[in-house]
Amino acid sequence: MNTAVRCLHSGRKSSAALMFRASRPRNVIACISLLFPFVLLAPGCFGQEAHPTEFQVESAYLYNFGKFVKWPAGRASPSDPLQICVLGQDPFGATLDSTVAGEKIDGRAVIVRRLSTMENPSPCGILFISSSEADRLDAVLAIAQRSESLTVSDIPRFAERGGTIGFVIQQGRIRFEVNRAAAAQSHLILSSELLKVACRIINKTPQGSER
Amino acid sequence: MKGPWTRSISTRLTMMNMLVSGAALLLACLAFFAYDQITFRKGLVHTLSAQAQIIASNSVSAVLFNDQQTAANTLSSLKDSSDVASAGIFTVDDHPFAQYTRPGESPIFTLPALGENQIEGHRFSARHVLLVRKILSEGKVIGFVYILADLHEIDERLARYALIAVFVLLVSLLFALLVSSAFRKSVSQPIVNLAETARRVSRDKDYSIRVANVGERDEVSVLIESFNEMLRDIQQRDAALQQAHNELEDRVSERTRELLSANRELEAFSYSVSHDLRGPLDALNGFTYLLMQQHGDKLSAGGRELIEHIRTAGKRMTELIEDLLNLSRVSTSAMHLEKVDLSQIARSIAEELSHSHPERKVEFVISNTEKAQGDVRLLRIVLENLLRNAWKYTSGHKESRIEFGSEREKGRTVYFVRDDGAGFDPRSVARLFQPFQRLHSKEEFPGNGIGLATVQRIVRRHGGETWAVGAVEKGATFYFTLGPSAGQPRG
Repeated sequence: MNTAVRCLHSGRKSSAALMFRASRPRNVIACISLLFPFVLLAPGCFGQEAHPTEFQVESAYLYNFGKFVKWPAGRASPSDPLQICVLGQDPFGATLDSTVAGEKIDGRAVIVRRLSTMENPSPCGILFISSSEADRLDAVLAIAQRSESLTVSDIPRFAERGGTIGFVIQQGRIRFEVNRAAAAQSHLILSSELLKVACRIINKTPQGSER
Repeated sequence: MKGPWTRSISTRLTMMNMLVSGAALLLACLAFFAYDQITFRKGLVHTLSAQAQIIASNSVSAVLFNDQQTAANTLSSLKDSSDVASAGIFTVDDHPFAQYTRPGESPIFTLPALGENQIEGHRFSARHVLLVRKILSEGKVIGFVYILADLHEIDERLARYALIAVFVLLVSLLFALLVSSAFRKSVSQPIVNLAETARRVSRDKDYSIRVANVGERDEVSVLIESFNEMLRDIQQRDAALQQAHNELEDRVSERTRELLSANRELEAFSYSVSHDLRGPLDALNGFTYLLMQQHGDKLSAGGRELIEHIRTAGKRMTELIEDLLNLSRVSTSAMHLEKVDLSQIARSIAEELSHSHPERKVEFVISNTEKAQGDVRLLRIVLENLLRNAWKYTSGHKESRIEFGSEREKGRTVYFVRDDGAGFDPRSVARLFQPFQRLHSKEEFPGNGIGLATVQRIVRRHGGETWAVGAVEKGATFYFTLGPSAGQPRG
C-alpha cells in the first residue's frame, strides 16, 4: 500500500509541480529527476494498487519506522547510510528495495542488506528478523540489543518476547506492537507519534530472557 | 411670518451638526468594520492554518501506518473550535482517510477544490472558508488536511457592529442635538434677532431701533455692530436731511415773504409814481394846449411846430403811464371768475376797429369758441391787445384777414389770433412777451411794448400760457390757453 501511495503521491506532486511552478525551471528539473525512478516502477504500482500484499505493507512500514526512531548519538555518522537488514529468509524480495530506493531518513541514505547469519556486532539500524530465525530469536535479540538495532519481526508475540516492534494482524489489517522496555534497553528513543499508532505498547522485558 | 425662518436657521444648524457627526461616525464605522473584517479573516486563516499544521504533523504516523482511528482522534481535537464545520485527512491519492464533522454536518468524500492547480492554501466562499495543508513526511507529501470553517462569526460580528454603530449613532446624534441647542443661544439667536430687527426696521421705517449685541465677538456680532452703525448713520442722515429740508423751507418761505413784500412795494411804488406823474403831465399837456389856443397866432410857424412836438410827446407819455398803470392793475386786481364767451368779445372789438378805420379792408373771421372760465374784464384786455396788435401789424397790407378761433390740443383748448400781416423774426420770439421790448421800430408801427407783456400776465394769472408762431411778412399767430381747468369743455 505504501508503494502505491508513494507512486500516486509522486504522480500528483509532479503534475502539480509541473503546472504550478512551470515558471521556475530549476524546480521543474528537480521534479523531473525526482519523478524518474517512480516512472520506471509505474506499471507495477498500478497493478498492485487495489490490494497491496502483506509484505508490501510491511516493507513500507519497515522503512517508515526509521522516521520515528532516534538512535544513540555517536553510533553512526550522519553520512553513513542507514542499513535495513533482513535476517534469514527474505519475504519481501524486490519490494523492499524499491520501497527504499532513493529515500532518505534524516538526510541519511537508506540501503537494504540481506543477512543469512547474524553479524556481531550488527551494523544494522533496523533489523528485520524473518520467521525462519524464530528458533534463534533470543540470541539474535541479545546481539541486536547490544548493537542498538531496532528489531522488527512478524514472528508471533515478538514484542512480548523482547523484540522492539512486532507485526500483528488485526481485523485483516497489519498493525504492530511496541515494547518500550526493549527499545530503552537498546538505547533507542521511539517517537510518541509511533507509540500513538501502535496497537499495543509493552513496558517490560520477558523474565529469564538472555542478555 | 416669524416662525419658519426662526426655525429654519437653527434647524439647519442642528441638522448640519447631526449630519456631519452622523456621516463621520458612519464612515468611521464602515472603515473600522472593513478593517475588522480583513483582520478577522486574516486571524481566522492564521488560526485555522495553525490548527491544520498541528493536525498535519500529528497525523504523519497515522497516515504512514494506515491508522485511521488515531487520525480521527487527532481530528476530533477540533470539536473545541465551534466554527469548524468539518475537517478531514485525505491520502495523497485523494481517498478519504479520516474525517471529523461537527454534529449536524455531513461528511465530505472528496477533497474540496481550492482552485485550479492549487493544492495548498485557503479559499473564502460566501458562508465558509476552506483551508488545505499538505501532510509531509521526510519532505514528501503523504496526504492532505482540510478544514472547512463557517463564517457565521463574521455575520455575528457584523450584526454586533451594526448594533453598536446604531447605538453610538443615536447617542452622538442626541449629543449633537444637545450641543446645537446649547450653541443655538450663542450662534443662531443673534442672527434671528438681527433678522427680526431688520424686518421691523424695513416695515416701520423706524431707524431708531438697535439690535442688542450680547453674544461673543464673532462675525455675527460684527454684523450686528455694522447693522447698528448703519442704522445710526441712516438716522443721522435722516435728521440732517430733515433739518436741511426744514431750513430750506423756512428760508424759502422767508424769501417768498420778502419777495412778495418787495414786489408789492415795487408795484405800489410804480403805481404811485405813474399816478403821481399824471398830474404834472396833465398840467403840461393842458398848458401847452392853452398856449397853442390862446397864443398860437403870436408864435412863429417854427414855434408852433415845437409846441406840437411837446404835445405829441406829452400824449405818448400819458399813454405810456396809462399802460403801466394797466399792467400794474392786471397783476394786482382781484379776479372774478365766470363763464366768458371770448368769440363775442372778439366780435365787439373787431366791430370797434372796423368803425374807427373804415378805410381799411380787413376781413375778420371769428369762429364760435367754447366758453372760457375767467375774469371777463381781464380777458377782454387780452383779446383787445391781441386783435389791436393784429390790426396794427396788418396796416401795411392793402387787404388783410384777421382770425380768432380755438382748437383742441393735448386735451386742452388753445385759443388763437391769426393775421397775415408783417409777422416777426422767429429768432426773436423769446423777446415778444417781454415788457418794453419791440421787434419793430416806432416809426414803422407805433407802440410801447407793453401789450403782449400784459397779455402774458393775464393768461398766467388764469393758469395758462402764451406762445407765438410767425415769420417776417408771413403773418403771425398768437396762442393762449386758460389753465388746466379753464379750457376744459363743459356741458
